[in-house]
Amino acid sequence: MDKFDVIVVGGGHAGTEAAHAVFRMGLSCALVTFNQKTIGQMSCNPAIGGLGKSHIVREIEALGGIMPLATDLSGIQYRTLNTRKGDAVQALRVQCDRELYKKAVQKIIKKTNIKVFEEEVVDLVIKNNQVKGVITKNKTIEAKKTILTTGTFLNGKMYTGEIATKGGRVGDGSAIPLSKRLYDLKLPMGRLKTGTPARIKLSSIDTSKMEEQPGEKPTPWMSLYNKPKKHQKQIPCYITKTNEKTHKIIKNNTHLSAMYSGNIIGIGPRYCPSIEDKVSKFADKKSHQIFIEPEGINKDLIYPNGISTSLPHKAQEDFIYSIKGLEKAVIKDYGYAVEYDFVDPRSLKSSLETRFFKNFYLAGQINGTTGYEEAAAQGLMAGINACRAIQKKQDFVLERSEAYIGVLINDLTNHGITEPYRMFTSRAEHRLLLSQNNAEQRLLKKAFGLGLVEKERYKQYTQKEQQYQDFINKELKTKKLKSFVNKENKKINLQESKSVFSLLYRTDVNKTKLFTTNKKNNGFYKRATIEAKYEGYIQKQTREIAKTKKQNRKKIPKNTNYSKINGLSNEVKEKLNKNKPETIGSAANIEGVTPAAINLILIQLKKNEMQKQNV
Amino acid sequence: MSVVFALATPPAKSAICVFRVSGSGCLKKLADLFGRGGFEFGRFYVNDLFYKKNIVDRVGLIVFKGPNSYTGEDSFEVYAHGGLGVMSSIVGAFRDVGFDEAPGGEFTKRAFLNNKISLNEAEAVSDLIDSTDERGVALSSKSLFGELSKKVVSFSEEIDSIRVRVEGDIDFSDEDNEYVDGSLVGDLKNLCNRFDSFVAGCINKRLGYEKNRILLIGPVNSGKSSVFNRLLGFERALVSNTPGTTRDLIGSELFYESSSFSVFDSAGIRETKDMVEEAGIAASLSQISDADLVLMVFEEYNPAVFDRFKGLCGDKPFINIQNKVDVNEPEVNSFDCCVSAKSGAGFDILKSQIVSAFDLGAKEDDFNFIIRDRHEALFKKVVLDLNKSHEGLSGGESIELVAEDLKNARSHLDEMVGKKFSDSLLGDIFNDFCIGK
Repeated sequence: MDKFDVIVVGGGHAGTEAAHAVFRMGLSCALVTFNQKTIGQMSCNPAIGGLGKSHIVREIEALGGIMPLATDLSGIQYRTLNTRKGDAVQALRVQCDRELYKKAVQKIIKKTNIKVFEEEVVDLVIKNNQVKGVITKNKTIEAKKTILTTGTFLNGKMYTGEIATKGGRVGDGSAIPLSKRLYDLKLPMGRLKTGTPARIKLSSIDTSKMEEQPGEKPTPWMSLYNKPKKHQKQIPCYITKTNEKTHKIIKNNTHLSAMYSGNIIGIGPRYCPSIEDKVSKFADKKSHQIFIEPEGINKDLIYPNGISTSLPHKAQEDFIYSIKGLEKAVIKDYGYAVEYDFVDPRSLKSSLETRFFKNFYLAGQINGTTGYEEAAAQGLMAGINACRAIQKKQDFVLERSEAYIGVLINDLTNHGITEPYRMFTSRAEHRLLLSQNNAEQRLLKKAFGLGLVEKERYKQYTQKEQQYQDFINKELKTKKLKSFVNKENKKINLQESKSVFSLLYRTDVNKTKLFTTNKKNNGFYKRATIEAKYEGYIQKQTREIAKTKKQNRKKIPKNTNYSKINGLSNEVKEKLNKNKPETIGSAANIEGVTPAAINLILIQLKKNEMQKQNV
Repeated sequence: MSVVFALATPPAKSAICVFRVSGSGCLKKLADLFGRGGFEFGRFYVNDLFYKKNIVDRVGLIVFKGPNSYTGEDSFEVYAHGGLGVMSSIVGAFRDVGFDEAPGGEFTKRAFLNNKISLNEAEAVSDLIDSTDERGVALSSKSLFGELSKKVVSFSEEIDSIRVRVEGDIDFSDEDNEYVDGSLVGDLKNLCNRFDSFVAGCINKRLGYEKNRILLIGPVNSGKSSVFNRLLGFERALVSNTPGTTRDLIGSELFYESSSFSVFDSAGIRETKDMVEEAGIAASLSQISDADLVLMVFEEYNPAVFDRFKGLCGDKPFINIQNKVDVNEPEVNSFDCCVSAKSGAGFDILKSQIVSAFDLGAKEDDFNFIIRDRHEALFKKVVLDLNKSHEGLSGGESIELVAEDLKNARSHLDEMVGKKFSDSLLGDIFNDFCIGK
């Protein structure tokens, strides 16, 4: 029988990061997947990054993950979003070559000692509420920890018009036995749906009729540390639009859509509606954008982002032909809606270990998220925490103020989900602290402590930070100016000379004209400008964070009877009475205990104090 | 908690007085107090009340079973005749059965502790009790019945709807939507202005909203101080027949028909060489501008003198009073009101004229809500953050900083109206804009 420290079930973005983290932390890992060839597969649109997402990717990089490198090994168009806005809300988005991405991931995994099994997992080995391994069709694999990252494969069902097919992705089967098994275990589960557009042959479309969207020049990198020597060939995307004719066709066929036929019970993402939804919900909008995204450098295929649909094939053809540049489109695969099961993430601890079984972790889309980045981040964290538990060390939990990954896992495990969960910068209340450009400063030291990054990298990082400090002390703080140029390009004389550093904090100063330096220090100067710009707000946020921490430390008396607190739901009362949290912070970390419930508890504590004074 | 009682009506002679009793075990004493048991909850009984087995009064009684009572505890209310003797006997009877006199605000505090009312409501109730006139009552009841909360909720929603556009611009900038345009700056400015005037219309209870200020003026020795004293019902101002006796403004509170007024007596105005008195006159002139109503007191009608005083009043409302009608002939056609401070004649009419003068005043619209320090501090922060966000947005500041100001403005209101979670904010973005490639 095979024995490992950790088993990872699933070879997607969560699974590969999980397995890789285990490898980095020096433990043995088995990766069990349906099909080796689909390891690292991008099953939706071939792009990495975007708002809130590039932030996660950079955090993954700081924690030693593989996604940024795979992105750069396959990136065919790079674009920074929100360039006119501040640093904290800028985001890099990279179109990838689907094949190259997958190959990059597979190559990285191959270089490790991760043992890959091409098997279908049909059951878990469970003893005394502890998961001890998995049972495949052919064998039993044992491990100290098991991480399930099965994506949409749990009871997946695809819909096109009135046709329903079992499976989580075109061409792959659905993990029905395992799903049934999980249902038998009566885990808290729900159903979600998502959709995808038709895939069209690049050679059949007329890009000359579309707006070209070239990549950014000079081409940036997703990775900050371990980047390849050269970019892949860069190719443009294109933008076209639906029109009134398209909308008429869609309206006439909407009743045939799987989404509207009542066959689908799962809840879809509101930020990624099908074209049927868009046309009916925003009826006054005469046209909707479609991003024509190439699937690869040498691939005769595009992903028309913006027209995901579950209409019957004929209707899909009709409305696609009505779009400028797609009149003669040859459809390779038709769009479909996919419905799948997820496990309520509130049944997870912040380590991503389940509360129902010990040594059992869930990561990725199975927890109700969507997106490669969100999945990868969870996989990484589950992998780290599985290792931490084996090493008998404390859970590795990131704070909301520390990383988007912290926001993600905190949201999932505390609030659960109502639709597929996607990261947005607006989810992070400490957004100004969390830039895609400062992930290393936030996380690298921790990553080094965990053993996720090698000593050499950490050394380079600390050297760079030292150089930055030197730059501030020896240049910005030393150089004094008697005048500066303001934003209206006027020269302003100062009564006494001030250092460049102190002038950075003045809002009327034109920062580009304040200081010029060599190319190497330019990055440092930019960073100092950003830090000065956010300083006031960040101080405010830091105070807030400290305040929350203080509240979290507030002790709850042991004899507190939650049944007597009005307003708490019975479920919450039961959980609190059972768990007897010692502090407000730990009460807040109990599944289902909402901030409103915390307020009620705080008021009760206050009342108790008042009553004591009364007696 | 122990059984407490309190007189719910003012401790003064009146038609009826109301006692409230609350606390677990209070119902067990009903038999001792009323000579019988078996009272149904929520019904009105007329029954004799006993103190040491002697009948005190025939009273009305309603019994409430907790939690269906104001405090949430078992409680009852007694409606007795409003004589002082009756009151003190009832107090004796309650003490005799072991009830304690309640400290101020105790019933509301218990209501709060028993989850009968929210903190905001508890504060409003205590304002209601403290408020000494009908306007105060109206303002408090607005807060009490959630008008303040409603107003704050509607402002919060407006902030949210602006945040929807700003956050949309940040997270979904590559979508084909127009989030931030000139109209947003205008909307934000408009919101800032309206919030400013909302805050200006709030009265902080601690500072005390201004009582209706009444100032007495008139020629020297027209008997202003006597009118003043008669109005208030006691000797306050120094009264003598020597002209110019009143040198300082003397203020006191007048309670009449559930209204309260601040009444000020001033030095009489005349041509004088006495420097001390001149200072007093100057002071009284400046008082006119602070007054809400001017009572002009004359001994007789003299058009020249009258016009001069009327000129001093400017556009202030005034009542034109003839005093000393016990010795002089009343000139009913020339005066609004003819009184005798000495005999008290005409004062009922004067008081009702004062009340109606204030009823006509439009002051009520200016002030809308009574707020606490807690609210005031929060609102001030909101004003700051909103104005900063507007400055940022119109001045081309990075939008994430505008978003931060708006978020901060909104989070100050969280305490009053509940937090807006990012997920519901995103939901609003998805409802308002077509998002999704």
